[in-house]
Amino acid sequence: MVLSEKKELTVFTYKKLKGIKMPPKELVEKVRKATIIQNKIKAAIINSPKTVPEIAKETGLDTHVILWYVATLLRYGLVEKVEKTDEGYWKYIWKGR
Amino acid sequence: MSEETYDALVIGGGIAGIESALTLADMGFKVLLVEKEPSIGGKMALLSKVFPTLDCASCISTPKMASAYHHPNITLKVYTEVLEIYKQGEGNFEVLIREKPKYVDPQACTACTLCEKACPVIVPDEFQFGLRGRKAIYIPFDIAVPKKAVLDIKNCIFCGQCERVCPTGAINFLDEPKEYKVKVHSIILATGYKLFDPLKKPEFKFGQFKNVITSMQMERLLSPTSPYEGILKPKDGGEPMKIAYFLCAGSRDLKLNYPLCSQVCCMYSIKQAQLLLGALPLADVYIFYIDIRAFGKGYEEFYQQAKAMGVNFIKGQPSLLDEKSDGTVVVTYWDSNDNQFKVDEFDLVVLSVGLWPNGDIAKVFKNAKLELDEYGWIKRIDENGNPVKTSIEGVFVAGTASGPKDIPETIIEANAAASQAAKYIIKYKR
Repeated sequence: MVLSEKKELTVFTYKKLKGIKMPPKELVEKVRKATIIQNKIKAAIINSPKTVPEIAKETGLDTHVILWYVATLLRYGLVEKVEKTDEGYWKYIWKGR
Repeated sequence: MSEETYDALVIGGGIAGIESALTLADMGFKVLLVEKEPSIGGKMALLSKVFPTLDCASCISTPKMASAYHHPNITLKVYTEVLEIYKQGEGNFEVLIREKPKYVDPQACTACTLCEKACPVIVPDEFQFGLRGRKAIYIPFDIAVPKKAVLDIKNCIFCGQCERVCPTGAINFLDEPKEYKVKVHSIILATGYKLFDPLKKPEFKFGQFKNVITSMQMERLLSPTSPYEGILKPKDGGEPMKIAYFLCAGSRDLKLNYPLCSQVCCMYSIKQAQLLLGALPLADVYIFYIDIRAFGKGYEEFYQQAKAMGVNFIKGQPSLLDEKSDGTVVVTYWDSNDNQFKVDEFDLVVLSVGLWPNGDIAKVFKNAKLELDEYGWIKRIDENGNPVKTSIEGVFVAGTASGPKDIPETIIEANAAASQAAKYIIKYKR
C-alpha cells in the first residue's frame, strides 16, 4: 500500500474547494485523442518493430505526429529503438504493458 | 508572511546567476538565489557542447548547479518570481517574492518518476522546445536541480493518478502560492535573454514546414539526452543527410527593427556543424551567412577547422522556402559570391535564432528606475569603466541580461557583478 492511500486524496479536497466537477472539455478531448494515437502506435509495433513512416502508413496518421508520440513514449520507456534501416530510419518496438 | 535578510539577492538561476551567487557565497555573504523555472541551469543546462573547446556543456554547468543547491550560504528558491522591489536608502532593498505552488512536496519527492508514468496528460515539453511531449506532472529535464517533480495544474485533469502512485505521499493539491518579504543589501540581475521567436518572420516557414527547426532544437537533438535519441528529421524520423543553417535569424534585421548582432550565432552554428559531421559522417552541412563573426579567443581557428572538416560556407541570404511532399525544404537564395539566385534542396533547415532582451524585470522596481537601452536590454550605465553597473546604485547586472554575449564573457561578468556587489554590501551594510 502506498502512503497516499492512508488518507483522503488531496485532489478530491482540491476539487471540492475549487468547485471543480469536471476538467475542461478541451483538455479531456486532448487526452482522449492522445490516448487513441498511443493505442494505434502500440497496436502497430507491439509484435514487430517498425519505422515512423511504416507506423504512419499502418495507422493513417502523419509521420510527424507519430515521431512526436514515439519520442514521448521513448522518454517514458514504453517504446524502444531496435535497429536502423539502410535508409536511415530507426525501427521502434513497444516495450510497455 | 515571513521576513528574512540576505546580503544579496540574485535574480535568475542561469549560469550568470549561479556563478554570481557562488562567488558571493564563497566570500561569506548570505545569498538568496531566485529562479522562475522549476530548475536552475538556464539555457546552458540544455546545450550540447560549448564552443570553441567542444567541452560538454552540462559537465561545466551541472557541478555549479549542484554547488549552488548545496551551498550553506545560498538559499535557493525555484519556481519563484520577484514581484516588487523597493529601495529604502543605500544598502537596503525590500523585495516581495512569490513561490508558485509545485503541488509536490520537494522534501518528500524522490524523483522516482512514477507520477509521470501514471499521468495520462501529454503536452509539449518546453524544455525540449516542443520536440516531444511531457506529462502534466513532470521533472523538468534529466539534469534538473533540484530534481523534483512539479505539477502543471493548468493541464491537470484531476484524475489523482499521480497522488495514488506516489510512494512517499509527496503530491499535495492543497499547495498554495507563498509570498515572502525579504530585505537585501544588494541585487544582481541575471535574468538572461529570450530566444528570437521565428514565428515573427513567416518567411522562415517555422511551424509550417516540419523540417525547419531552431538552433536550440538542434542543441537538444545533439545532446546526449536528445528527445529523439539521435538526430532525426521531425517530419518523418529519418536521418538528415543535407542540412542548412540560416545565420542571423532574428538578428541584424532592420525589418524587425533589431539591428543588433547576437554575437554567438555564428560560433554556435559552426559548433553544431562540427558536431553534426561527427554524428552523421556522411552528411553535408551548409551555412548561409552575412558575415562570419569569429571574434573571441580561438574562434577564428574554430571557424577554419569547420571549413577544413568540409562545412560549406555560402555568403548569401535565403529568400524563398518551399516544401516537397517528403518534407525536403527547397531553398532559393542569393549567392553573393556569384551574384545570382540559386536553388538547392535540404533535408533539414536550422534557423540560427538570435538573442532578444528579457527586460520584464524593470517593472518590478517600484520606486527606482531601472533603465533599459533602446532595444530593451538592461542599460550599462558605465559601459567602459564599470560594465556591471545599472542605473540603480546597489543593483548590478550579469550575463546576457545586458546584451548578447558568450559563456566565457558571461562568467567573467558574473564574477565582476559579484565583486561589485560585495564592495557595495561592505560599504553600506548596517
